[in-house]
Amino acid sequence: MTTLTVTQNFGKGAKDIGVYKSLGGYSTIGQKLFDLSQFELIDLVTRSGLRGRGGAGFPTGMKWSFVPRNSAKPVYLVVNADEGEPGTFKDHVLMLEDPHRLIEGMILCGWALGVRTAYIYVRGEFLAAIDTLNAALKQAYEAGFLGENIKGSGYSLDIYVHRGAGAYICGEETALINSLEGFKGQPRLKPPFPAVSGAWASPTCVNNVETLMALPWILENGVEAYAAMGTPKSTGTKVFSVSGDVKRPGVYEVPLGTPLMELLESDKYCQGVVGTLKGVIPGGSSSPVLTAEEAAKANMDYESLASLKTMLGSGAVVAFNTTRSAVGMLASLTRFYAHESCGQCTPCREGTGYADRILKTVVAGKGRDGDLDHMLSLAANFSYTTICPLAIADAWPIENFIGKFRGEFDAAVSRNPEHAADRVDPAFRPGAFW
Amino acid sequence: MSHCHTQVEQPGAAEILPKLEVPSVLTRVDELIRRYPVPRSALLEVLWVAQEILGWLPQEAIKWSASKCKVSPVHAYGVSMFYTMYKKEPTGRFFVQICQNVACHILGSEDIIAHAEKSLGISAHGGTTSDNLFTLLRVECLGACGNGPVMQINDDFVTDIVDGKLAMPVGVGLTPERFDRIVAWCRERAKSVAKEPSRDALGGLFDTMGHPGALLSSSQPQKAYSPVPPALGVAASRTDEGKVKLTWRTAPEVTTLHIEKKSGSDFAEAAAISGKEKEWLDEAPEGTEYRIVTETAQGRGKSSNVAKAPAAKGA
Repeated sequence: MTTLTVTQNFGKGAKDIGVYKSLGGYSTIGQKLFDLSQFELIDLVTRSGLRGRGGAGFPTGMKWSFVPRNSAKPVYLVVNADEGEPGTFKDHVLMLEDPHRLIEGMILCGWALGVRTAYIYVRGEFLAAIDTLNAALKQAYEAGFLGENIKGSGYSLDIYVHRGAGAYICGEETALINSLEGFKGQPRLKPPFPAVSGAWASPTCVNNVETLMALPWILENGVEAYAAMGTPKSTGTKVFSVSGDVKRPGVYEVPLGTPLMELLESDKYCQGVVGTLKGVIPGGSSSPVLTAEEAAKANMDYESLASLKTMLGSGAVVAFNTTRSAVGMLASLTRFYAHESCGQCTPCREGTGYADRILKTVVAGKGRDGDLDHMLSLAANFSYTTICPLAIADAWPIENFIGKFRGEFDAAVSRNPEHAADRVDPAFRPGAFW
Repeated sequence: MSHCHTQVEQPGAAEILPKLEVPSVLTRVDELIRRYPVPRSALLEVLWVAQEILGWLPQEAIKWSASKCKVSPVHAYGVSMFYTMYKKEPTGRFFVQICQNVACHILGSEDIIAHAEKSLGISAHGGTTSDNLFTLLRVECLGACGNGPVMQINDDFVTDIVDGKLAMPVGVGLTPERFDRIVAWCRERAKSVAKEPSRDALGGLFDTMGHPGALLSSSQPQKAYSPVPPALGVAASRTDEGKVKLTWRTAPEVTTLHIEKKSGSDFAEAAAISGKEKEWLDEAPEGTEYRIVTETAQGRGKSSNVAKAPAAKGA
């Protein structure tokens, strides 16, 4: 029996504070928390080995320790619920099913960092989740878990929901902060890192929904119990959102280090792949794709996937079978990144659109020899030259899809009877991808 | 649609402002503004309120939002153009957005989009039917990939009709048949219900005291609340010279560390050193017990765990 640390209340009606409390919720908001100093709580999270669940997998305790203490400026906690990575839908379900666990996790994080005001940045499409969160927040205020002087501890915390308005890039923490501040969601240069100067030039901690939702369990059941799950370097459990060609797509919580094929084929989880597996995108659209052979070797933890030159990312597993065209999938991804480029850095703004237009001509049967190499050269040149990793997130799929399914791409080019003719660079502007 | 900068006939201020400058809206705007340290930050939310009331964002509404948030109109206009969910032109009664991203793509969203374009007779790049009932738009990932191919109608995820209502049952994706059923349901509804009920764009605001120091806010800043941090992980070891070495971890705000040594049955203070120190040396026999008590400007904290001096090396 797998221990669940985040999704244990699914399907039990925990949206309501009464039900949530009867399931053991908010039990940490009392002496258990108020006897701990900030330093002890941060130390506890560090020892649990919890890593950020939003994509980068940065150790949470270390991130918290970067926030200056006793600073003259207020410290902000911003929850990143701008879940836009194609393939990811775990936070959406988490917020709909168990909003109070998120609030409890935010109170714990708030206590550790001395936060007075916290924001939950939810992507605009999730209006139902925003409804749920606001209803839950209202209940939490009425029950005295939020507001001034929580349960007589002298600690005050307010939480507000901020609705985003449709921009993938706002999932990047500095873009999210800009968006929260009322600007266009364009990333900022780092340093200064948000922990030092983030929202309103104050220390800001940006954490993913799932990261914060793991905290109540850790505090309640102890660091050792959490660190015992998963692998030594990737401790605990992770929520995976599985979609694509599987019999039962959905959100599953498994210990880190679980083999990918177990997730896809076990009766407890996805119950098998529809058709013959061709490949898997293991961590959201920007993670390099795995072929079926690589997928058979992969374990779902940060190190195992890194050894296969891909990443765990946000835990969005997209499986696809042999009937799906790799060219079509990549075309869908490059169109996405060209569309979502925020327009701030030239290599990304121009490069992603350029790569997308080249691939569009290939898909339309007008590809020429050299188009693929041109795309690879573009990808190599627009990655690592921009403020944020969006360009890299486009380059990795381009390099890996073309690299691992080269035969299909070559076949797509040679569908053009004149594929050997001179190339015409489709470098024209303005963006023809609309 | 949202991405195309088409010319749209703009209603004038005289038409827009009476709808926005009403007490219920102004209270909501005040509530939003007090939630952020500066009014500017409420801009996205105020634009949402304006869009909820008008159905889309005419330029006068953007100007109105800018004046409420104390930013220049061009700033508000730039922001509204950046985000795709602000509608820069009116849409039909059912705003249908179909996901075209990778997870939905491999499950056949292109077929659904082609089917939708054909059956509604409009373009999926923001076309609106002549009866003004449907606007169709292909969009990037909607964040419900487990139900791929998925679509949204107005603000709800829809892949099927269940018990006479729009629904997204777990694991059920769109098919052309389901799409037709949903469209038929919408047409049926248009005959019996005059207009779609307005839905709160911000999920039901409630009264809060706001951000400390913000406009219209009444809340107080954070007071010092946390207990004094203790020293953690106190450990004793032997140096090569045979001395007992104490090590520990502690917080930066600690000013003084009181090192206590057990003599008899009680601990007595052996030394008081600066909180910046990282180690402390002592000469003591094996089995001597140590603990550390921290002190900050707030006062003394809890005592740490007890560390026992090990035997001398080679002894």
